[in-house]
Amino acid sequence: MSARRPRPVRKPVARTPVWVAPAAIVAGLAVLVAAFFLIRWYVTPLPPPPLSSGSNAAVVSSITSLPASEFDAVGPGTANNLIKPITGAALKGPNGKPEVFYYGAEFCPYCATQRWPLVIALSRFGTFSGLQTTSSSSSDVFPNTPTLTFRNATYSSQYLDLRAVETTDRDRNPLQSPSASEQQLVNSYDPGGTIPFIDIANRYAISGAMYSPDTVGGMSWQAVADALKDPNSTQARAIIGSANLITAAICKATGDQPGTVCGGTTIQDLEKKLG
Amino acid sequence: MPRLQAAAILAGVAGIAVSIYLTAVHYAGFVPACPVSGVINCEAVLSSPYAVIAGTSIPTSAAGIVWFAISVVLWARPRRNLLLAWSLLGLLTVVYLLFIEIVLVGAICLWCTAAHLLVVVLVLIAVGRR
Repeated sequence: MSARRPRPVRKPVARTPVWVAPAAIVAGLAVLVAAFFLIRWYVTPLPPPPLSSGSNAAVVSSITSLPASEFDAVGPGTANNLIKPITGAALKGPNGKPEVFYYGAEFCPYCATQRWPLVIALSRFGTFSGLQTTSSSSSDVFPNTPTLTFRNATYSSQYLDLRAVETTDRDRNPLQSPSASEQQLVNSYDPGGTIPFIDIANRYAISGAMYSPDTVGGMSWQAVADALKDPNSTQARAIIGSANLITAAICKATGDQPGTVCGGTTIQDLEKKLG
Repeated sequence: MPRLQAAAILAGVAGIAVSIYLTAVHYAGFVPACPVSGVINCEAVLSSPYAVIAGTSIPTSAAGIVWFAISVVLWARPRRNLLLAWSLLGLLTVVYLLFIEIVLVGAICLWCTAAHLLVVVLVLIAVGRR
């Protein structure tokens, strides 16, 4: 009688520990997130260095003292007429003058675009102080679009008042807030929340930019100011064209005052186009 | 009910709640309760063109409601392969949304991150479950 041979014992197979797959997923995600931040850092352009106070003043002086012949030579230029007639109680400033209300933000490239013609147009009716050069966000579309900011600006005019609200700085940190009545204007005439929003005495409203930020993309502030002196430049046709349309809308609100600005053929023709 | 299964269902319900909040904020036009500091900025993300499903006006968070709701249903009667496939879909979507937030928008939305973390939790439970 032979002894029964023992059955071969199956060698135990080591199983992968249960934590390995989840840990691999977490590690993979961490690597991906780090790679995304690296890509973001690599593709984000550096903001331009700020101008010295002298250079800043030169840019502001240049664009706020353009000759009337320049405005007449450009006419509507290549501006996209976004000016819409609105109805409502006349918007007036603290002294009873027609008020222009601007609502935007420093990070916003379209606000950066629209400030150029707005400053130029308003400068024909009064004087600014405290205007500073800046640029839109480095991390948004059309990064570092050169512009000016209303953050610390004051405006004086015998024809109209300006109220400007920059809601955030170029890094999107909160900056200024509209009053309740100003917020109501935004809600009423800019229900989509588009910025920049400009209300001209509750007679006209503009939501968005009247030309593409590409027009001034990559340029220095001084280069933009210099380009505006040539009525045939792309920048002048877009920016001064927009400024002329805004000027015509303001003239409608001021009763065509002053005559030296509003009485010319260029502005009178544009006023007819506004409706 | 096993603890992991209960945890997954809980995470799914939390994900539905977060997604409903983001969808409601979108349609109401409110700014979500969210700090703005450096790269943290919910408004920048939620007001970007990527906050809606391409070619529609439907917020991405609405798709989140659907994904989490289906996850809860699947976890109620779990089948391993189905859960793994559904989780993989969620994980790939989260990676794509992270790419949009970090690389294209350059901002992080905390509410969106909460939803992403809940997706990752569900994925980890599905993968780690024997």
